[in-house]
Amino acid sequence: MIRFALSFAFAVFGASLSLAQEEASSKDLVTALSSDTVSIQSNFTGTEIVIFGQASDIERAPHAAGDFELAIVVEGPPQDITTRRKGRFLGVWVNREAERFQNVPSFYAVASTADIGDIAHRNVLDEYRIGLNHLNLAVSGVSNVPLSDRDDFRKAFVRLREESDLYSERETSIEFLTDTMFRTNIPLPANIPVGDYKIKSFLFNRGDLVSQTEQTLAVAKIGFEQVTFELAQNYPLVYGVLAVILAIFTGWLAGVIFKKD
Amino acid sequence: MTLWQARVFNQSSLTLSQSYLQSVRRNPVQLYLPIAEIPVNIFVIFAMGGAVGFLSGLFGIGGGFLLTPLLIFSGIPPAVSVATVTTQVVASSASAVMTYWRRKAIDLKLATILLAGGVFGSLIGVILFDVLQSVGQLDLVISLSYVTFLSAIGGLMLFESIRAIRRRKSGVAPSARKPGQHNWIHGLPLKVRFRRSKLYVSVIPVVGLGAIIGFLGTILGIGGGFMMVPALIYLLRVPTNIVIGTSLFQILFTMAAATIFHSMGTKTVDIVLAMTLMIGGVIGAQFGARMGQNLRGDQLRLLLALLVMGVGLRFAVDLLLVPEDFYSIAIRKGAGA
Repeated sequence: MIRFALSFAFAVFGASLSLAQEEASSKDLVTALSSDTVSIQSNFTGTEIVIFGQASDIERAPHAAGDFELAIVVEGPPQDITTRRKGRFLGVWVNREAERFQNVPSFYAVASTADIGDIAHRNVLDEYRIGLNHLNLAVSGVSNVPLSDRDDFRKAFVRLREESDLYSERETSIEFLTDTMFRTNIPLPANIPVGDYKIKSFLFNRGDLVSQTEQTLAVAKIGFEQVTFELAQNYPLVYGVLAVILAIFTGWLAGVIFKKD
Repeated sequence: MTLWQARVFNQSSLTLSQSYLQSVRRNPVQLYLPIAEIPVNIFVIFAMGGAVGFLSGLFGIGGGFLLTPLLIFSGIPPAVSVATVTTQVVASSASAVMTYWRRKAIDLKLATILLAGGVFGSLIGVILFDVLQSVGQLDLVISLSYVTFLSAIGGLMLFESIRAIRRRKSGVAPSARKPGQHNWIHGLPLKVRFRRSKLYVSVIPVVGLGAIIGFLGTILGIGGGFMMVPALIYLLRVPTNIVIGTSLFQILFTMAAATIFHSMGTKTVDIVLAMTLMIGGVIGAQFGARMGQNLRGDQLRLLLALLVMGVGLRFAVDLLLVPEDFYSIAIRKGAGA
């Protein structure tokens, strides 16, 4: 199934590639996804997407190794996420300080051909938010965190996101199939948030951004999961009443089945 | 259950376990929860429901105070655990209520007044739940409440059951309830007559009791029968043959209200998780009830007391030990918070 999907994707990719070349030969970087939707059903335990591409510039301008580098960023819909730190209060460990990070990606994965720091200049990485150290982690104005501890909260935030597999840095995970064609796999864990994802690919030449592409990936619940989730979100009263009816029915049924003889 | 039925049952459970093993081999038994937004092992959840159902059948309790902590400790977000167990409690008390209804062992008037308080308490509970979640202190309040109530009630039960066992061994007959015995509660105004319970008491403690249990039940994900039953017996002096049916009736409808309030307020009731727990629970309860008939009442209460205190202790340890990770993250709304 996966092999079929891959070969299909390659075929589509090849077709779109030739089309792209006809349309605009100036395009240095072309990318395609193995699938543009990820469906979450009851048996969903995570998946992965494959990103293919061709960097034609590499072919046109002969170069020394290390001149051209690639980075691919997968970014989930933005969220506000609070990071809290525990402290001891009256002998009990409780959440004391909190820092709220605003509009941070709910999912972030970056794949690259080399160590992120070697790909491009720092300001370029910051501008395009490439690499976990270059994310824009804006905090809300109101916070009880001392200024000197802010960095600890940033580090803890990124670490916790990494631990839950929602943030990752996969250096040197892009592999070249030919001199110009490349591919990489990005695993999507079971706890990925739903929404529209952006997949941005960047081509660098000696630290300068030469070309970039952007694609979208939709992560959505389908079928029963979607119906249930939307009912709970949009018609919570109906959902609640339904849950109660279901519970009473189950209890009643059990009472009937196991009635003592 | 006759021998023949038992044999048929054993065979069917055997084929069930075989097909279960096959399905394990074929594909992982993960089930994605649409509201919690995480996959769980369906058989682990089913077994948890079954085990708690077994204990609830054995001890004649709702089991929410065991199930909610079990879910929290196994990694389900606390908000989802609490809200979903309120739904599970509805199912587990529904079949019991039917039994007591048939036996006419429910004081409807008393239950209705308790229920009015319960719904009000539950509403306040959901509002507070939401506030606590947004300031990041929900887990703390849940843990502290569990420590406080479980160790207090567990301790009382332990004390009482040890005394009962000693008394039985020394051969002294337990003292029966003395008629006409009154306490301060019977001096309150707004008295109402409850014919079924042969009581004439003020509605204030009745509504108050309902509200407290409804409030705690909604915040902690428990039915609260283990608090309601002693309160009805010792504070209001409701006859013991009416107590359990009346308490269950109140719990059933208070938890139904809590489910609806949680669905509308915190939106963390996971119907798939609830369904799995319910099915495991009602099956486990049948076996528990059968086994419970072979054990002595005071021995049962001693075991239950130890269980209750154990859960309370587990929460206390988490609060007192230096945490492995000082930091935690939470998303503002929904299941992950």
